[in-house]
Amino acid sequence: MKWITNDIASFIQERKYIDTALVPLLPVTFGSGVRQSAAMNEFISIISDELERQFKGRMLLVPPFTYLETEDIHQRKERLLEWAAEMKKEGTAHIIYITADSEWKKAEQSLGDLLVWMPLVPLENMDMEYKRQVVSEQIKQLIPLIMEKWKMDT
Amino acid sequence: MVSEKDHNVSRRQFLTYTLTGVGGFMAAGMILPMARFAIDPVLQAGAAGDMTAVADVSDLTEQPQRFDFSYEQKDAWYTSEVTETAWIYQEGDEIVALSPTCTHLGCTVNWDANEDYPDQFFCPCHGGRFEKDGKNIEGTPPTEPLHKYEVEVQDGTVYLGKAEPQI
Ligand code: FES
Repeated sequence: MKWITNDIASFIQERKYIDTALVPLLPVTFGSGVRQSAAMNEFISIISDELERQFKGRMLLVPPFTYLETEDIHQRKERLLEWAAEMKKEGTAHIIYITADSEWKKAEQSLGDLLVWMPLVPLENMDMEYKRQVVSEQIKQLIPLIMEKWKMDT
Repeated sequence: MVSEKDHNVSRRQFLTYTLTGVGGFMAAGMILPMARFAIDPVLQAGAAGDMTAVADVSDLTEQPQRFDFSYEQKDAWYTSEVTETAWIYQEGDEIVALSPTCTHLGCTVNWDANEDYPDQFFCPCHGGRFEKDGKNIEGTPPTEPLHKYEVEVQDGTVYLGKAEPQI
């Protein structure tokens, strides 16, 4: 389900089935890394939209967790854990974080849940057809990971 | 033909390369070939009105295969490329194209994807299952069959229209 009123209505109604939150983690900068930041935003939103399409009935795609690139990893991790605590409190059983920012790998252990780090694929110069193929291959690799997570958590 | 093949190899190598980095945990080797159809823009512009060219009849088998296709959709604010998927098979003269959207809460179902349930559509979300013709299997969450696309064949090409409920 997406973070839009229509889907949220189903989410409220069918909450016991929609037990997983998908949280994109996006770095923001206005400095020299701005191009990279935009590329990550584009890539991760395409991948998370596609995952949402695959797992619509069980997954809620929440607004991305954004942070300044300069924010200290511990600090941003603490903030993220607050999100996680709130989601868990409200009954979300599984959280999946998805990012192209490799910094998060340092925090992977203490995050609990599933951190999916995707190396950034430069989609900008690909034609539509090729882009679709690349994305769909990536999704194919992700699906078993997510199903594995569901199996492990139960 | 030969050059197309070479092309595929280099794409595959590229994918393998990009995927090797994904966590430590993703096996890079398991890229499966996917049934797909390069949509000729001329065809797409549409001998068949609102229908989209999706597959060649010669590619169909008795087993449902996955075909992805896309078209432009105009929203109130912007035009976007929508990608859809259909599971298509041929039995005798009949061509059946089913929507992969689970009729429970909308996850994407896959054909023959669960070892315990061969020759069925399986939904990874809450274990919904459907027969080959899309009929929902009792005792699993979905309460109606998979939706069925309107199918038209012209000059050996399969065109799909809207997916409609079967009941
Ligand atoms: S969405 Fe398919 S079984 Fe629930």
